[in-house]
Amino acid sequence: MKIDSDAIKELAKILDDTGLTEIEVADGDQAIRVSKGGTVVAGSPFAAPAAANMSYDPSTPGQPNMASDTVAHSHPGAVTSPMVGTVYMQGEPGSAPFVSKGATVKAGDTLVIIEAMKVMNPIKADKSGTVTQILVGDGEPVEFGDVLMVIE
Amino acid sequence: MFKKVLIANRGEIALRIIRACREMGIQSVVVHSTADANSMAVRLADESVCIGPAQSKDSYLNIPSILSAASLAGADAIHPGYGFLSENAQFARMVVEHGFTFIGPSAELIEKMGDKVTAKKTVQSLGLPVVPGSAGALESAESGLQIAKDMGFPVLIKAASGGGGKGMQIIREEGRFIEAYNTARREAKANFGDDTIYMEKFLEKPRHIEIQVFADSHGNSIHLGERDCSIQRRHQKLIEEGPSPVLTEKEREYIGNLAAKTVGELGYLGAGTIEFLYENGEFYFMEMNTRIQVEHPVTEMITGIDLISEQIRVAAGLPICDAALKKPFRMRGHAIEIRINAEDPDTFIPSPGLIKQFHAPGGLGVRFDSAIYSGYSIPPYYDSMIGKLIVHGRDRAECIARLKRAIVETVVDGVKTTLPLHLWILNQPDFVSGDYTIHWLEQKLADR
Repeated sequence: MKIDSDAIKELAKILDDTGLTEIEVADGDQAIRVSKGGTVVAGSPFAAPAAANMSYDPSTPGQPNMASDTVAHSHPGAVTSPMVGTVYMQGEPGSAPFVSKGATVKAGDTLVIIEAMKVMNPIKADKSGTVTQILVGDGEPVEFGDVLMVIE
Repeated sequence: MFKKVLIANRGEIALRIIRACREMGIQSVVVHSTADANSMAVRLADESVCIGPAQSKDSYLNIPSILSAASLAGADAIHPGYGFLSENAQFARMVVEHGFTFIGPSAELIEKMGDKVTAKKTVQSLGLPVVPGSAGALESAESGLQIAKDMGFPVLIKAASGGGGKGMQIIREEGRFIEAYNTARREAKANFGDDTIYMEKFLEKPRHIEIQVFADSHGNSIHLGERDCSIQRRHQKLIEEGPSPVLTEKEREYIGNLAAKTVGELGYLGAGTIEFLYENGEFYFMEMNTRIQVEHPVTEMITGIDLISEQIRVAAGLPICDAALKKPFRMRGHAIEIRINAEDPDTFIPSPGLIKQFHAPGGLGVRFDSAIYSGYSIPPYYDSMIGKLIVHGRDRAECIARLKRAIVETVVDGVKTTLPLHLWILNQPDFVSGDYTIHWLEQKLADR
């Protein structure tokens, strides 16, 4: 089929000039229809709701996200996020992280910082113990209730 | 047009907004408390962010949490729904300060209309008739008593920062005034953090008639007809219908045009509702709600306009759709909405818990707006409304018959609901004849 690009360009220009959203011209058994996207966007693919739902699940690279998260959540030593924000593992970019896996912490030690709206909020251990799991990475978003780490 | 909208609400209205976003190709992100992790809104939204524990003050009313979630999700705009932060001027202001579009009017207008005393003065200066009352806040019990004597009893004391039917006291005789005044002050302070109170003449047999208004940034300010919301208990609406069975065409045109004009002069943007008391052919301004209302589907059914979609369009800078701007304004048929609460239909004691089985009604002209499903546990932390059944008919009689049929089909097993009460109301001769006022239901229940 021979595509008459000049005709299409002309029709498109007419759409712009007139503010119409659709023009169709026919000549014998040949027709061209040019249409502009309307305000209602049909045809956005309907992904199955369960699959499409993405909540912010922080995960350390290489660890299966769902499994570790579910187990950690019910752990008595789970430290959960009290707020929505971005996790930072260290006080300043470039400095050492507050804690690492295996580290011993006392009650009141800072574990991570969660930043929300430019305010840095230190998250402190409420009891002493050893950090056995760290489930978040630097710069990751967290929701309320997400497990940050496990202290035993 | 927005690419992503954050919905700062829950339940059926969150679902409603998600539906509009999806139809418009807009990504939806819903914030939720831990108690709502398995809610329909969370399941159907494109994304969700848990923002706090079950208590509203730590989640749905938690402004920093919501704004953080919006930042993280990369939302363009925030829809506050109804209730919660929808009429919180501070929230609206902060949303804009953080670079998001607030889907609603400006913080200034929310503030102006949120203070019931200022709102009344503002609309009065724009020509709206108001309920006769104290010119402003009551200064003292003594001055209040004098105003009451001049106006004539009975009078009504209301909290300036109240609304939604809360914080009101009726006083029928002089002797009870001082005591009621003091009680009102105390309760206002306790419930709204502000003990400012004002007074109005108490109308004995008014109807609650509200006008849906809409304004955009292209100079259009319109009305979309009225809703009659006189079936109330303790100032909470149970049933809403449109058009009102008592208004004449002339009255409808008069008050609709007045409401549209007022909204234009206010510099309003988006959806709003102006609520009036109507008695003996007279309208009296009560309050303006600067948000979408629970009963918006009634208007949608009789006008065919998607009000949530229009809210989003207008907030994005587009004009109101042509269908809504068409003149003369016409309503088609009749619609009635019933609010279904998880409460005992006789005692009204809340009945949260597990919905073992749910089956929605169907058929021509039947719409069920609800976030419940079989196996859903109604959390005890929020209000008890679990759904709205809205029915449309070619006329009021057909509408009532269809609504009764739909109620009988509806199955909500496992919790008590007010469905039996609604069926009872629809069978009352006064309802069928349209002869009811805002006091009707309570009087009828007392006589039962």
